[in-house]
Amino acid sequence: MNTLRLYLRYIKMNFLAGLQYKGWSLMVLQVFMVVVTDPISVIFLFSRFGDVGIWSATKIMLIYAMAITSFGLAETLCRGLDYFPWKMIRTGDFDRLLLRPQPLLVQAAGSYFHIHRIARVVSGIVVIVWCLRDLKVEMSLLNIVTIIMALVGGFLTYTGVFIFTSGIAFFTIQGLDWIYIFTNASYQVTRCPVDYLPNILRNVFTFFVPILVMSYYPAAAVCNWGQPYWKGLLALPTGLLFMTLSTLVWRFGVNHYQSTGS
Amino acid sequence: MKLKALFSIFRMKTAEGFQYRLAGIAGATTSIFWVLVEITVYRVFYTYANNNTAGILAGLTLNQLISYSWLTQLVFLMQPMSIDSDIQSKIESGNIALELCRPLDLYTHWFAKLTASRLTPLFWRGSLVILVGMLMPASYRLGPPASLINLILMLLSFFSALFLCTTYGVLMCVVRMGITWGNGPTYMLMLIGGVLSGAYLPLQLWPDSWQRFLLLQPFAGYLDIPLRLYVGSMSPQTAFAAITLQWVWTLIFILLGKFLLVRRLKTIVVQGG
Repeated sequence: MNTLRLYLRYIKMNFLAGLQYKGWSLMVLQVFMVVVTDPISVIFLFSRFGDVGIWSATKIMLIYAMAITSFGLAETLCRGLDYFPWKMIRTGDFDRLLLRPQPLLVQAAGSYFHIHRIARVVSGIVVIVWCLRDLKVEMSLLNIVTIIMALVGGFLTYTGVFIFTSGIAFFTIQGLDWIYIFTNASYQVTRCPVDYLPNILRNVFTFFVPILVMSYYPAAAVCNWGQPYWKGLLALPTGLLFMTLSTLVWRFGVNHYQSTGS
Repeated sequence: MKLKALFSIFRMKTAEGFQYRLAGIAGATTSIFWVLVEITVYRVFYTYANNNTAGILAGLTLNQLISYSWLTQLVFLMQPMSIDSDIQSKIESGNIALELCRPLDLYTHWFAKLTASRLTPLFWRGSLVILVGMLMPASYRLGPPASLINLILMLLSFFSALFLCTTYGVLMCVVRMGITWGNGPTYMLMLIGGVLSGAYLPLQLWPDSWQRFLLLQPFAGYLDIPLRLYVGSMSPQTAFAAITLQWVWTLIFILLGKFLLVRRLKTIVVQGG
């Protein structure tokens, strides 16, 4: 409870500090533009080529929106972890966290908060709701719970990716750009109809970094696309498991930390 | 004398960029991943979509599209996506005053700097992606250019694209100078350039009714024009007009950049001591 309070205080502090900055509303617009322009290729391809078998633009957008909302949540609530390798290790600021008698991950997670990142979450949720209505999905309590659990699971997964990256960053910073495959580039996989996804991609994003478990399976369960419903409920436990495993990598990194700053 | 100074700036900045080899190689993995996903998506549409001939009707075969995707990862590295960090910190800290003391025109100075920093990522990240693209199995491979003439025209257009990207980048630095509170506006202006360049989807596959506008707007020259020439979806006869168009826009960006810079420098207030 104490840690949660600490985290909320961090966020509140950074939130208020962010509001001091005159350009913040424009930054919301800026992220919004990135979010809106990102899927244009899917929209244009569907409008030129028509549906692909059972797959329509709406179905793809639903899965895509589930993935980006999860990513947006992680990015909004744990920006400090996303920034960690670049802002904390390289500058040596991490030493300061070690001096304080509080959990490291909470301190790191709360060290940054950018209001404008919320734009991705808000537009993601709007698209999810719009797609569900367009697909005429019954909004039963079970379906709503499944979607919310999927988003929480996705949030945990992406936070896990940040923690995992931060753990590796204790050993190398320069060669870390490949990690974008599992962050900003990962949700591009959802643009491809899952039936046609090559097995290797499908397995990597189901069993290694479980993005599809957070996006495709819950969507399939809710919309009844022929997958068993229970697979859609796996999102939350999988997300928890993934994050726990990432924390082990992080612990290992912290134990081998050698300061870079002065 | 002046040329020598410019060349040194260029060389310095290039050497600096080369220090990030490892980052470049790591970045290449993301590019390669990106292309493979993209190719998969295109293949699905070209094979299983209800109108699976729509792409060919629009003038692009799947093989052309695959080559286009690979080359996009190289050419798009030239696009200015953010203000050069060096120049930005000078604007923010007021050290721009130092730049003004140099016996060198600020516009030319920035131009040399940006050209170097737009060019260096091509060497490590870009060339690695292209190499991997050429070594892929047949159905994912970066194909050869449509013809030798197409290749030559593409290279010409590619260098024109470099200057188009750089001059737009300098223009953005100048615009940034007049804004004291952040990167928002310039970032959005650069994002528009990136989207309209065809890096997200070849412009030929955008809606038909937009085609004339898409070809005439400045950012087609960033990427779409050189790549159309490479894959052969633009005939060599029209290449001359297209490359001229690239230079017309470059000239407009230069004039606009210089004009704004002169105006800004008249009223500039340097903070700090």
